[in-house]
This record gives sequence, C-alpha cells and structure tokens, in this order.
Amino acid sequence: MALIGSTLPVSIQSLRPPIDLAPAREMIAPKGPSGIAPTGGQFGDIFEKMVSGVEQRQAEASAITRSVLLGDNPNLHQSVIAMQEASLSFSLMVEVRNKVVEGYQELMRMPV
Amino acid sequence: MDLLTGISATSGALNSQRTRLDIIAQNIANARTTRSPDGGPYQRRVVNFESELIRSNSSAFGAKDPGLATVRVAGVTIDPTPGPTFNDPGHPDADAQGMVTLPNVNLAFEMVDLITASRAYEANLNVAKNSRQMAMRTLEIGK
Repeated sequence: MALIGSTLPVSIQSLRPPIDLAPAREMIAPKGPSGIAPTGGQFGDIFEKMVSGVEQRQAEASAITRSVLLGDNPNLHQSVIAMQEASLSFSLMVEVRNKVVEGYQELMRMPV
Repeated sequence: MDLLTGISATSGALNSQRTRLDIIAQNIANARTTRSPDGGPYQRRVVNFESELIRSNSSAFGAKDPGLATVRVAGVTIDPTPGPTFNDPGHPDADAQGMVTLPNVNLAFEMVDLITASRAYEANLNVAKNSRQMAMRTLEIGK
C-alpha cells in the first residue's frame, strides 16, 4: 500500500493523510453527549491556511516597511514588530513542516 | 493567529513615548521663543496618556482574564504657568513697560522628562525583545 504518492518532492496536497483516520479520531476524541466526535479539517487544509497566513503577515510587514521607508509612517517600531511577527510565524511553519517530514520518514523506515 | 500577544500593548506604548519625545523636543526647541501663533510667548506643552482596551476578556480564560489594554496619547495640554520676565525695551516683543515674557520652559525639567521618556521607550523595547525571545525559545521545544 502506498502511504503517500511515491514521487518526491511531496506537495502539500499529497501530504493529506491517505489512511482513514476516523476510527483513530473516534478513539482519541472526547465524545459529546450525542456520541459524535468533532470533525476537524484535513491536515492539508489546515496547513494551507497556515501558509497563507504566513504569506499575509509577510505582505503586511513589507507594506508597513515600505510606508516607513517612503516617509508615510513615522512609526519605525511598527515595521520592525511586523517583520518579527512575520519571521516568527515563518519559523513556526517551518517547525510544523519539519515535524511532518520527520513523521513521514519515520513511517518509511518502519520495517514491514 | 496571534503569536506575540503582548506586543500590541507594547506597540501602543512605544507610539505614546515617541509622541512624548516629540513634544519634549518641541519644548526644548522653543525654550526662547517669545512669539507664537496664538500671541505671547511659547507655552510649554505636556502630553497626557490614557489606557486603551485592545481586547476584553476572552472566553478562553473566562471571567478571570482581565483583558489587554495599551496606552495612547489622550491629548496635549498647555502648561498655563507664567514664564519669567526680563527688562529689554529694545526687544520687538517687549510690552509698554519694556518687559519681555519668556516661555515657561525649564530646560532642567525638560531634560529630566527627556531621560524618563527615553528610558520608558527603552523599557518597552526590551519587552518587545523579550516576548520575541520567549516565542523563539518555545519553538525550540520541537528541536
């Protein structure tokens, strides 16, 4: 069984878990009174949202920096803070990616 | 997604302290100005701050969460105390008795204000630096 599309590099789309996780979710998720486990989005969707959030932050930071450099905005600290936020969210995204790749490699090393 | 939560409060504080520094610069620059647009000598300006709510208590922490407030400039008021006078009949701004009124700017006070404002700015910069460092150190958990 091919866990994930065999060609590398792995695209975000192909990182979606191909295994049906519903039974596992049912096992770990706390059940509500109706017995229905809360359904979250797929990992790919969440990661896509995260990437677009990071991109948006970078765009905001560059817009503020541009306005400071052009003299429209005297608040230098806003630009630096925005850049730091962008860099931090990027680091978080890289960290998440590292964990995902690590988990994938761990799975591939598993002797069957 | 709000990674650096306290930073918006710090940003407002930096903004306010910068305004305060601007006003102090204006006071020092006009320490000997005997003519102003509203007549008479320049009057010293004082900046007042007020706190501004960024977010009220969030549901995540319940009623115990005090919310988050930053600071903003409430307004710039004019110090009404009269300035010192001296006799100089040849001065273009002298009154009928030959007395000239100087601005009520005391350079010693302004320097003290300048130091406190710049120290406050520095303190807020350190808060910003620390909150970033905390976030970076938290990310290192995963390594």
